[in-house]
Amino acid sequence: MQEAKILSAKFAIKNSNKLTVAKKNGAYQTLDKLFSSKQGEVIEVVKNSGLRGRGGAGFPTGMKWSFLPKGLDKPVYLAVNADESEPGTFKDRYILALDPHLLIEGIIIACYAINSHDAYIYIRGEYTTQRIVLQEAIDEAYKAGLLGKKVGKQNYRIDITIHRGGGAYICGEETALLESIEGKKGQPRSKPPFPAVEGLYACPTIINNVQSIASLPWIIQNGAMAYKRYGIESATGTHLFGISGHVEKPGVYELPFGLPLLDVINEMAGGVWKGRKLKGVIPGGSSCPILTPEEAATATLDYASMAEHKTMFGSGGIVVLDETVSMPELTLNLIQFYHHESCGQCTPCREGLGWMEKILKKILGGDAETKDLNLVRELCDNIEGKTVCVLAAACTMPVRALLDKYRDEFEALLKPEPASATTEAPAEQE
Amino acid sequence: MTEMIKLFVNGEEVEVESGKNLIDALEKVGIEIPHFCYHPALGADGNCRMCLVGIEEGRPPVVPACKTPAKEGMKVLLDADHIKKIQHDVMELEFINHPTDCPICDQAGECKLQDYYMKYEGTESRMRVPQVKKRKVQDFGGGVIHDQERCVACGRCVRFLRQITKTGELGLVNRGDDCRVEFFPGRPINNRYGLNVVDLCPVGALTSADFRFKQRAWFLKRAESICHGCSKGCNIMVDHNKEKYEDDIIYRIRPRHNEQVNGWFMCDAGRMTYKSENDNRLEECTLAGTVRPLTDILADAQSRIEKASKALFLVSPSASLEQLVAVQALAEKTGAAVSAFSDGYIVKDDGDDFLIKDDKAANRTGVDLLSIAKSRTHFDNMAKEADVFINFDNDLSRSLSEEQIGKLFKDTWVLNAATHPGHLGTAMAGKAGASVALRSWSEYHGVVVNCDGIAQKFVGGVMKNIERPDIVEIAAGLGSPATGAAAAWALVQKKIPALAEFGSFLELPAEGVNLTDNEAGK
Repeated sequence: MQEAKILSAKFAIKNSNKLTVAKKNGAYQTLDKLFSSKQGEVIEVVKNSGLRGRGGAGFPTGMKWSFLPKGLDKPVYLAVNADESEPGTFKDRYILALDPHLLIEGIIIACYAINSHDAYIYIRGEYTTQRIVLQEAIDEAYKAGLLGKKVGKQNYRIDITIHRGGGAYICGEETALLESIEGKKGQPRSKPPFPAVEGLYACPTIINNVQSIASLPWIIQNGAMAYKRYGIESATGTHLFGISGHVEKPGVYELPFGLPLLDVINEMAGGVWKGRKLKGVIPGGSSCPILTPEEAATATLDYASMAEHKTMFGSGGIVVLDETVSMPELTLNLIQFYHHESCGQCTPCREGLGWMEKILKKILGGDAETKDLNLVRELCDNIEGKTVCVLAAACTMPVRALLDKYRDEFEALLKPEPASATTEAPAEQE
Repeated sequence: MTEMIKLFVNGEEVEVESGKNLIDALEKVGIEIPHFCYHPALGADGNCRMCLVGIEEGRPPVVPACKTPAKEGMKVLLDADHIKKIQHDVMELEFINHPTDCPICDQAGECKLQDYYMKYEGTESRMRVPQVKKRKVQDFGGGVIHDQERCVACGRCVRFLRQITKTGELGLVNRGDDCRVEFFPGRPINNRYGLNVVDLCPVGALTSADFRFKQRAWFLKRAESICHGCSKGCNIMVDHNKEKYEDDIIYRIRPRHNEQVNGWFMCDAGRMTYKSENDNRLEECTLAGTVRPLTDILADAQSRIEKASKALFLVSPSASLEQLVAVQALAEKTGAAVSAFSDGYIVKDDGDDFLIKDDKAANRTGVDLLSIAKSRTHFDNMAKEADVFINFDNDLSRSLSEEQIGKLFKDTWVLNAATHPGHLGTAMAGKAGASVALRSWSEYHGVVVNCDGIAQKFVGGVMKNIERPDIVEIAAGLGSPATGAAAAWALVQKKIPALAEFGSFLELPAEGVNLTDNEAGK
């Protein structure tokens, strides 16, 4: 198994964040080709390449662009989502820090394709180094005439503004991200209207993940067909997989879609560490339901296979868990994170996640009964799907999987039922 | 005419107005969709999730009704099991961190959490872990007290202060179940409409410092009235109660919805006008300084009017149309002059572009419709001529100084009929030939015409222990052809033909009658 170096081609090159080094290694070579193409042609190439959004949802990028309403006299904005905050996900930070010019080149391509002149990069507040490096790269690009009034001496203006987040996970949700850029409290908007129609400052807006944008230069340079040679038909190209947890060699690996999950863990990341047994794999960031070793054995790294296994490809952040992991503690850790990051806007998420956390603590404290365990399981169903955004589901989906697949571990923590115990009176309903 | 569309609710066809969201459209035909955060005046926010309804064959199949426009042929599900379960589950989640302190909560009896619990949840609590603790009794300023634990974070108060008053004192801070409404440190609620947030709050999180702990909502009697605080004529509900052995007391005034007048709101000053209805009222009728029955006073006054070379009647610009015509008819019969001089009721630059008006008179348009003179010159000239002066509740002290009043009526016999003391200033107090304590607007019925020419009825529900006469009764007692309320109304109809179709003032429509196009002619 070998890495495919499309996005990570310059990662190993010293000072690859500097314009001269980046240019020497092929950066900004697509611009002539780009500006000699029609805007619609660029969208077609991206559509044909099969590129799907790399932020987690996997929505086809070219199709997203084509949702922009035609003939509006409002400006179109591009928002680049660099608010990489999903636990287990650490791929975008490498692009931001090691090849910022790849992102900038991608932004130029995207802006031109969607007829936008203003791009905002919403970067996670904790990414201090990345922000500094990225800003330096943007400054260099401005000086070199790659950004500004005449991009690459063409009659096309593109300005890029970095907007730094305040450290809220929810601001990675696309509409909360827009609220945050607008200077408001980062809370998701209820849709419709979708951002492509009414986004930033009520203007049509496209929001793309860093990795999606960074994939564009290679696609434009080499064509859609070349890109499709990587991966499988339903998931083309390559992905930066962040493998973490109990493996010998954690890190970011660029691989084509469709490889067997366990092979990747074993061959790229050196397998489960210390010769221990595998207990479970979170395949794509913390919000993706966990896979048992048996399920992991048949799963491949693409959207369809993950869906078949009732989980998600997500952002490609693979978390490997060895046999020593306590699943109830992992569950509490997950709920704590999502409870803390719930924006507090809508009722089910605001009230429900805190409740789930407290029940889990009760279970871990050895103070809970079967009815408490059943309650937290039921809450997963009661909360999910009733909220403004999918943050609550990002919590309930993995928790439901953990409760169902490792239920005996939770049951082992319950208080023994007293002999005279009566079962809880069934909820009375009219 | 609004366009009507047909849609289905639980399989049954209903006809609703188009251009509305599902909550409003179905409410008009009597179908309730529960909601906390949506308010017609504040728009949809979609945060409470209580209004989630099913749409058959819809994408998505479950939508917030507040954000979903009613569409032709739509198949709305309200009583499907999965929708009932959502309503139940959302209510359960609203309650887990709620203190459920209804016995000491002022909202009890008019609380959406209570109502919806009975209707949509009704199960025992499954909360067996500690609740989130938040701040209690927080002074938000402007007479608003906040209890963070009762709050459902619907954000109505926040949106009102941002969208309507544009003062933005409140915001929702923190995340998750730590989310709470707060004001910015050192900048509490400070605007003239702040108390509306108390009405907007669907639960007991925001209560009025003025009203709290005074009465339980279910004891209050309600009278649909019109605010007499200024010429806007905001529609109000007068909430009053007569406790055993006590007098009938007004405990609060709340706005009543009338889209063409005040919308859903009213100003704080208008709300507080109930205090002057309760307190510092004139109680006795006197003649030459001694307490006498009303009949004696009226008999005396009537003979004086007959003998007088000129009598002058001063009416209030806040009096009802019925009262104005009764006095006017009396003047026509006796040859007296009538004035509605009330320059002092106009407080320059006090009004705004929302509800508060410069003119603090409730019926100046009515005065104009009846062609009653109100100029200072006319009043001065008539006062100089008159040897009998009867004041029908005009607070002259607003327009003239005590010295001026004293000078004008130096040699005049004065009957001062008033609700409150001080209308003619204190200098006149000893000099008044007679005084009569009057009923005030919360105690009589009538019609007033607001600044925009809208005639509105109001009902006086308060029954004071002390029986006081109304101006119509006084005028009748002095010989006015308007011998009672019905006769007075008939006279009003004669003078204002646009009101002729209404057999009694009670028949006026709730939204009022717009006279602008005809009589008011503004």
